[in-house]
Amino acid sequence: MLSSNTYIISSALIRVGRYFNKSYKDLIRELVAELNKDLPIHDYIDYVVVSNVFSDSILEQLDISTMIIQELNLTPKPAVRVEAGESSGLMALKYAHSLIKSGMTSTVLVIGVEKLVEYPTTVVNKYMVRLLNSDVEGRYDIVTVNEAALLMKLYMKKHGHSREDLTIWPIKMHENAVNNPYAQLRNRITKEQVINSQIISDPLRLFDVHPLGDGASAIVLTNNKELMSKVGTGCVELIDVLHASAPPLTHRSDLLSLPASKYLFSKLGNYGVDLSDCVLEIHDSYTILAYLIVEELGLSDRGKAPYVVTDIKNINLSGGLKARGHPVGATGVYQVAEVHRLLTSGLGSIKLNNSWGLVHSMSSIDNNAAVALIRRCG
Amino acid sequence: MKISPPRIWRERYNYYMLRITQCLDCGRASYPTSLTCPYCGSSNIRTVNSSGLGEVITYTISYFRIEGQEDEVPKVIALIKLREGAIVLGEVVDVGLSEIREGLEVEAVLRRLKIDGNSGLIWYGMKFRPIIGAGIPT
Repeated sequence: MLSSNTYIISSALIRVGRYFNKSYKDLIRELVAELNKDLPIHDYIDYVVVSNVFSDSILEQLDISTMIIQELNLTPKPAVRVEAGESSGLMALKYAHSLIKSGMTSTVLVIGVEKLVEYPTTVVNKYMVRLLNSDVEGRYDIVTVNEAALLMKLYMKKHGHSREDLTIWPIKMHENAVNNPYAQLRNRITKEQVINSQIISDPLRLFDVHPLGDGASAIVLTNNKELMSKVGTGCVELIDVLHASAPPLTHRSDLLSLPASKYLFSKLGNYGVDLSDCVLEIHDSYTILAYLIVEELGLSDRGKAPYVVTDIKNINLSGGLKARGHPVGATGVYQVAEVHRLLTSGLGSIKLNNSWGLVHSMSSIDNNAAVALIRRCG
Repeated sequence: MKISPPRIWRERYNYYMLRITQCLDCGRASYPTSLTCPYCGSSNIRTVNSSGLGEVITYTISYFRIEGQEDEVPKVIALIKLREGAIVLGEVVDVGLSEIREGLEVEAVLRRLKIDGNSGLIWYGMKFRPIIGAGIPT
């Protein structure tokens, strides 16, 4: 029997890391082996949506979704790749959700996969430039980390913060990641380590920046209620996936605002989301962005986020992009899978009783943004 | 071939002249050129060449290393407010790391951006340097 609601009924993740001896196909095979434990996915999946950003750049592979279908012997099932920069994972979720809500299909496998460490960092960095406008930033090889550094300077000056004041976030993220078995960096760090780490783009240092790692994660989305009793470790309801875009950084009246994210957060009231009863996963690719997102969410006054983040308990329990890692196209699917686990069987040893999950993703400095709203079943 | 000849020809005004859009309704200026004002949406606009003169709003010294351009770091990347009001991102050159500062007055200067091997095109474009003479010709 088909429901008018859409549910996430199972998830699979591998630890984000440097898999020199594994291809993207190997990583996906591991995910599918985990999903197949309940029931072979071949028996119930109607459609596959793949989120991936750098397959053409790094893997020299187009139509990666078909390669995955062929690898998994899932033909003739249809598959498509979704790419929308760093928000690709949530955009893939949006695509899958739309397929189900429109009645076109019933059960969709969403896979996020990215292989970044196929080459040395300087080569991957070359491709990171492509996340910005190639006619503007691209010709100077300006990357998001440079823009984040500019915002961090403006933020420190406007609100009178020292560099030390802003170390709270990465320390908290590394602390959280200790408990996430799928996080790339599961080590605690100190304030001294942050402020003495290598300068990437002053004042941003190595520990203010997400690491580079490979990753693959998957979730199963369905409106088939019968399937829920056969597959997975507990369900959550996917209420909606919202996305929006923003003007380029240089065209914003307030350089320290995140217009697309702000617009999406303004819609949360329509869904009755209670942030105090919410598990939050936000796109903290760079330390400064975490503070700006917390402020846009209304969890802090402007300029005060570094003072309040310690007291916000259920934010980025995964360790966030900072410590779980940021396998770009896979990240959004990781975030959703983590929230699914947190609200059902548990993420490692962490299990919560919250009613809501909110996943936030954005590309570069909020060029586009997406939010997934998730609610505990029953 | 890594640099597309038609592309750098097509974009010559944005790349070489810092051509900006001025809105005749809200009065704001923006870069690069567009069909409508990005601030108010008006199509009552005109395009003009910027004077190339501006002021550093803020800057970062970048050590972010990219293959083939490792020798270019550290480089100074800045948000610059042009005299016409448009805000642009750009690289500041001919400036010591101890000399760069907020409020520094800069002028646009044509510089080499990228080289396409030994036989391909050389891509030029505007960077910025501390003011030492006239701005770019208009």
